Amino acid sequence: MILGLDVGGTQTDAVLIQEGRVVAAAKTPTTGDLLATLRIALENTLGHVDPGRLVRMAFSTTMATNAIVEDRLDDAGMIVSSGPGLNPEWFSVGPSYHVVDGCLDHQGFETKPLDRSAVMNAASSILNAGIPVLGVVSKFSVRNPWHELQAADWVGHSFSHVAMGHRISGALNFPRRIATTYLNAALYRLHKNFSDALIHILREKGLSGPRYLLKPDGGTIDLDMSIQRPAQTAQSGPAASVMGALALDGCEGVTLVLDVGGTTTDMSVVIDGTPLLKPLGIRLGPYQTLIRSLLTHSIGIGGDSEVRMAQDGKLKIGPVRRGEPAGFGGPAPTPTDAMITLGLLDAGKRDVSRLAMEKVGETAGWDGAATAERILQGMAEAIAASARAFVYDINAQPVYTIHEVLADQRVEPTSVLIIGGPAPQIAGYIGKALGLPCRFPRHYGVANAVGAAVARVTSEITLQADTQRGSVIISEAAVENDIDAGFTMDQAMSLGRAVLCRQAAINGADEKGLEISILERQAFTMIRGYMRTGRNIRLKMGITPGLIPEWKRGG
Amino acid sequence: MLHAVRRTGLVFFPAYDWAISPSHPEREERLLYTQDQVLEEGLLDIDGIIEYRVRPAGFEDIRRIHFCVPDEAAVTTESHLISAGGCLVAADAVLKGEVESAFALVRPPGHHAMRVVHGNRGFCNINNEAVMIEYIREKYGIRRVAIVDTDCHHGDGSQDIYWHDPNTLFISIHQDGRTLYPGSGFPHETGGPNAQGMTINIPLPPQTGEEGFLYVLEELVMPLLEKFEPELVINSAGQDNHFNDPITNMNFSARGYAALNARLRPDIAVLEGGYAVENALPYVNVGIIMAMAGMDTSCVKEPNYDTDYRPQPSEITGYIADLVDRLRGVFLEGGLKTVPCEEGEVVQRSRDIYYDTDNIHERQHEKIRCCKACPGAFSIASTSNRGQHILAVHVPLGACRACRDIGSAWFEEGTRGAFTHVYLQDRVRGVYEKT
Ligand SMILES: [Zn+2]
Ligand SMILES: [Zn+2]
Repeated sequence: MILGLDVGGTQTDAVLIQEGRVVAAAKTPTTGDLLATLRIALENTLGHVDPGRLVRMAFSTTMATNAIVEDRLDDAGMIVSSGPGLNPEWFSVGPSYHVVDGCLDHQGFETKPLDRSAVMNAASSILNAGIPVLGVVSKFSVRNPWHELQAADWVGHSFSHVAMGHRISGALNFPRRIATTYLNAALYRLHKNFSDALIHILREKGLSGPRYLLKPDGGTIDLDMSIQRPAQTAQSGPAASVMGALALDGCEGVTLVLDVGGTTTDMSVVIDGTPLLKPLGIRLGPYQTLIRSLLTHSIGIGGDSEVRMAQDGKLKIGPVRRGEPAGFGGPAPTPTDAMITLGLLDAGKRDVSRLAMEKVGETAGWDGAATAERILQGMAEAIAASARAFVYDINAQPVYTIHEVLADQRVEPTSVLIIGGPAPQIAGYIGKALGLPCRFPRHYGVANAVGAAVARVTSEITLQADTQRGSVIISEAAVENDIDAGFTMDQAMSLGRAVLCRQAAINGADEKGLEISILERQAFTMIRGYMRTGRNIRLKMGITPGLIPEWKRGG
Repeated sequence: MLHAVRRTGLVFFPAYDWAISPSHPEREERLLYTQDQVLEEGLLDIDGIIEYRVRPAGFEDIRRIHFCVPDEAAVTTESHLISAGGCLVAADAVLKGEVESAFALVRPPGHHAMRVVHGNRGFCNINNEAVMIEYIREKYGIRRVAIVDTDCHHGDGSQDIYWHDPNTLFISIHQDGRTLYPGSGFPHETGGPNAQGMTINIPLPPQTGEEGFLYVLEELVMPLLEKFEPELVINSAGQDNHFNDPITNMNFSARGYAALNARLRPDIAVLEGGYAVENALPYVNVGIIMAMAGMDTSCVKEPNYDTDYRPQPSEITGYIADLVDRLRGVFLEGGLKTVPCEEGEVVQRSRDIYYDTDNIHERQHEKIRCCKACPGAFSIASTSNRGQHILAVHVPLGACRACRDIGSAWFEEGTRGAFTHVYLQDRVRGVYEKT
């Protein structure tokens, strides 16, 4: 049996899955105490299940996200070396940020050595400020981690934890590397405490199977391994919904996935079972990061959004949620009240909902039913407009080769899949607004928890070989090997595969049958004057988001 | 989050799958390190710097400006169309008001491509700027355009295309043609009979440093622009004046380029040459993008700047001061010696054009009708050593009745002659014909 648990803003959903089927589901209100919420959700779900039968547990939590948006991060010191370009002071983060001399160029050649005494001085001023965690970042460290390793070597022993930029991602983006490294350092202790407490609760319940956390890219990572990079467990909610849609439906063709929640609607696109990834990384609060994520978009419209008639005589839905719908005793009319009024939803107090609708439509001269009908249409149209803009933006992404320009593969959704509480009630309206067939799966209400439960481990590596520099680097996996002038793409491919599999296994993947995809593969001959001086090979491969084989077996 | 002071569009098309030949400087990885640097600096995360997706230009965009022999398909590759198309994307972004200025970082370059195209000259087949300018004129109704060509090589293709156009001010700053390809671009080349003084060449001696460039810009180029009052300023932003460039001898740095761009403030910049792909282009391009966005560029510097950059020698400073003095006298203070030309008179010239990359010899015979009322119709009879013998007739935008009539007459007459093809480029009626 597999346990999946998704902590949402208002509800925490949990499911139990056996032989590919959801055998139990429970909703628990989310409270301010995350661990208490998790404990209650576990009790509500597991009931009389024998804990020994649980072979896997996966959680999508809000720990890191909450800490970031509520500004509860620990202090972390930063030592940054940059060289020419944008002023590194512009990316200052945290209470003790230090720029030191030292420079690597875009190939990873050292053009200025790292200033040892400046690093030592920075470290002592960080320690003097009482800060025990450190982040070190240098520009182009993904091409050559030497300066970051040097800094960690010189001063790391004085700190309780050191986060290094090149370990986060092989992608280029110095400001994002600084921000992400800082988050990993500043979340380290909080995440460690959280995961220790979670492990304690699980042990208390007799649950000893492998434990995973969901990441924003729709993949999972072993709970113990996540401690090195805690920021990558942040904001996994939208990913849980995409993976849930994938698990419950399969998403053939080009599917627009809409997760209609209480406060927001999240959207994403799945192409033949593979969700689209964001090109660079997710934004967490004020921080642009290098944390890989699914491409999702969120708008402030959901079942509990406040509805009101504006001065101009038009209905306004959202973006505010005042609380429960009127029919449940809440303060403001909502789309859920519209559903109740129209008899689409058998819940709450129907007469209270209808009264709330009548009040909204009063100035326009509409009765309760007409108002409710217009609200649901308006909600669907707003979601449709936002979805169209989302798809337009996907298609406006730049491309860099003739091949890509000519191929011009535009994303054009052919159907819509809706999950979330109001899915059955709103599906017809959204289908009409978008002019596309619209469906909702079984277990639409707990899809996120299902998604967390059956998402497989993901991993990605970025390989850069430079025969002129005589080195091949896989930054995320801390691999740096010497190579000779004859290093080939084939050698790069087999090294990449081996390292990716090893990395995935460390992150908790079952090493059998890993599906590897090549995300980028380029080789350039480097010419100086008219002479060939070397070869530059760039390779990006990954285990893309998908479902664990056990789920597929269950069907 | 960082904000751009001015909203800036970026069109990046490195064409990673296109090269002239395996060891040619114009090859696949030319913009690779630029992209690395731009990505690593996080420039695309800056609020107000917007990257656009390229699209290919169509043959109809090329026909407004070029006579391609025998046709567009024969002298272009997909990459040429996408490079020109990238400029159209940049133009749309600016003219629709989405951004204040835009930089098209595209390859292959275009400023050596002339009006008649038999093949590749100086790595260029299609003149990206000209295709863009005529697209802008057609779509947005703009007339007065200034091109400031800061590539180290003379922009002979752009000069040729706008030689007869009084609505286009073409200024080229370049390394003296006596010391560098294509060997043209001297101060006495000032434009055709209907556009005298609209072509301005500023040849600078080898080793000119950023002081020299910025002096020329301040003392000559900016006053010329002020006087012309263009609706649009285009920068042909070649980056081969860089002190690291392997095929030229100038002494410009990334910060110099940034300062030049910040002062010139072009509406649209289009990348031209620049072949120091590892140690100049990444820094120059970052500097230009930041300058366009109105950001402080004082930390942009080549890694070898402190060791390898030499200030401009004083004799060069003196030489440039004299040159600027002389050119100011000619172009700003009424000293231009114009050749008188009677209304309706047909002026003729003949010349030889060499295509270095494709080894084509072309012989041209050109006729233009002198006209006070419009830019004037012209025709070009062109013969190449590849056996082509064509006649190309151009009727300009805003052509007067007489010029339209003479254009039609030349075309008619040509179709009865012994040409392999006769072309008509009628910008008034939007008719592009070929026999
Ligand atoms: Zn050039
Ligand atoms: Zn005329």
